[in-house]
Amino acid sequence: TSGKPSLTGDSDTVSLQSVMLVGDSGVGKTCLLVRFKDGAFLAGSFISTVGIDFRNKVLNVDGVKVKLQIWDTAGQERFRSVTHAYYRDAHALLLLYDVTNRASFDNIQAWLSEIHEYAQQDAVLMLLGNKVDSTQDRVVKREDGEKLAKEYGVPFMETSAKSGLNVDLAFTAIAKELKHRSMKLPNEPKFKLHDYVKKEVRGSGCCR
Amino acid sequence: RAMVFVLSEAGKPIYSRYGNEEALSSTMGVMMALVSFIQSGDNAIRSIYSDDRKLVFVQQGPLVLVSVSRTLQSEQQLRQELLYVYYQILSMLTQVSITRIFERKKNYDLRRLLAGSEKILDRLLNLVESDPGFLLGAVRCLPLPASQRDALGALLQKAITPNLVFSILVAQSQLVTAVQERAVIEECRLEPTDLHLLLNLIGASSAFQAGEIWTPICLPRFNPDGYFYAYISYLDAECTVCLVLLSTDKESFYAVSDCKKRVEEAMRTQGSLQVLSGGLQSPSYSVGQVGVPGYPGELPPAAPVHQRQLSSSPSPELEGPYCSEEEQQRLFDLYHYLHSRIHSTSRPLRLIYHVAEKETLLAWVTSKFELYTCFSPLVTKAGAINVLTKLLRWIKKEEDRLFIRYPPKYSTTPNPGKGTKGGRPDGAENGFFAGL
Repeated sequence: TSGKPSLTGDSDTVSLQSVMLVGDSGVGKTCLLVRFKDGAFLAGSFISTVGIDFRNKVLNVDGVKVKLQIWDTAGQERFRSVTHAYYRDAHALLLLYDVTNRASFDNIQAWLSEIHEYAQQDAVLMLLGNKVDSTQDRVVKREDGEKLAKEYGVPFMETSAKSGLNVDLAFTAIAKELKHRSMKLPNEPKFKLHDYVKKEVRGSGCCR
Repeated sequence: RAMVFVLSEAGKPIYSRYGNEEALSSTMGVMMALVSFIQSGDNAIRSIYSDDRKLVFVQQGPLVLVSVSRTLQSEQQLRQELLYVYYQILSMLTQVSITRIFERKKNYDLRRLLAGSEKILDRLLNLVESDPGFLLGAVRCLPLPASQRDALGALLQKAITPNLVFSILVAQSQLVTAVQERAVIEECRLEPTDLHLLLNLIGASSAFQAGEIWTPICLPRFNPDGYFYAYISYLDAECTVCLVLLSTDKESFYAVSDCKKRVEEAMRTQGSLQVLSGGLQSPSYSVGQVGVPGYPGELPPAAPVHQRQLSSSPSPELEGPYCSEEEQQRLFDLYHYLHSRIHSTSRPLRLIYHVAEKETLLAWVTSKFELYTCFSPLVTKAGAINVLTKLLRWIKKEEDRLFIRYPPKYSTTPNPGKGTKGGRPDGAENGFFAGL
């Protein structure tokens, strides 16, 4: 089991941190990841992920290398048994819904209870409303997302894998939080994920 | 091509090859009415023949599969296609969970669980109709000198971890080598059908460069009720060479991923990727290579080279008049016809010489091989037999390069004598289906 991530590392590198992407099938988890990792948008037909897809990306956070292993999970029910087995190893979770799909938003509560059941209590969690570029088809208002996030005390932002809006920010914010947690430098002020997200997040334009 | 429908016993649509299942719900309703009407008389509907089409019905547990076809394919072959579809569904859900779901709720909408898998089934049906391996029950293997194949097998044999049961190396959907756990192989072998399903799943799910995939998969011919956990990762940037490792332990991702690192490392040292890309660039073999000029194309052999071992079926690049897709399909339809005559349940044949409109075909089946060839329409029977003899001699000579004859094994269970239990796939009871 030498491949298992651990929290030990030298001074300018944070060892492997795992970030899990969860949410209903079709909300754009893979597209978000590909946008972040390769700066591209997967246009064309929908290919659904099978099981869990593990990919690595190294981020530079304030001069420190943070190695992220991003776990892109399949949203379908039939893959739950494998995703459940890996929740507890996740250092952070990005929970996505699709602003053009009401059901995916309504299912967020179910996802949250699943996360509370299987993931580590101190895992970093963030709620993302994806596909905000589709202004015409939007059915979930930004306020709805904000309200739900506030209720559960999790940071929230709206994203678009297509335009790239807030995609890097979502992963960077997570990486910053994970870096602060694993390094715990005595002289550094505490990193406040909520405040950071609030300060940096960009709106999706005029149409809300 | 054939229309294919899958529905539940309650008449609920599950899959349709063309068109949207909702729009076809009345058609499915009629089909279910036919099935139930015959069933009420304690009988089962098998097929309906009309002037220009065949309807074939297959019932498997709570699922009904229907094919509507106008092609030359025989009822038996269409039935086989439907079984492939059924097995692919099992590969995603397992038999025991499908049975359990419908026991609890007769009108359950199985599409809920199969969401996202339509592409996998579409692709499977396209393959079944164009890849001779499906017809012959064999998996195509990449022609490679025996020494190089052995070296790759040895490399996989070393990269093991507890509960690993199959290690498979694939290059562009062609099998390079497959290594099996010793305790597992004693009871069973990896069935070509299971390998087809696995390769189809990989092909349908990784159209773009993927990372490391970890997913449950059932190999229904091996055990229709249990899951393996498949580790799937490409070894090159172009996504041509793929490593598939099957474990029985859901939680062994990190250990299995580590095996991949070792395989990657060893392949780098040995320069294996160059060897494989060399193998991929040279055509599987050409008719000219065999040294028998004068016939346009053939589709040899099929053949479990050794019984109880992995089959493989090389076929040459199609040349001459068979370059276009339509002509290839027409030729393949003819092979389908010969195959149905050879394997006819009422009157099986060992040899068939068939003079068609544009070509002459010869098919020959023995206990060791199954060979389909196609000649110019002007060939004589003696000429054809002569070419066939030469071809078989060439294949015999090249056997080690064209086929996988002795798949290597390894032992990952600490106590192989009693350890067969460890080699069984995970029972579906452990999955989420238990909660349904």
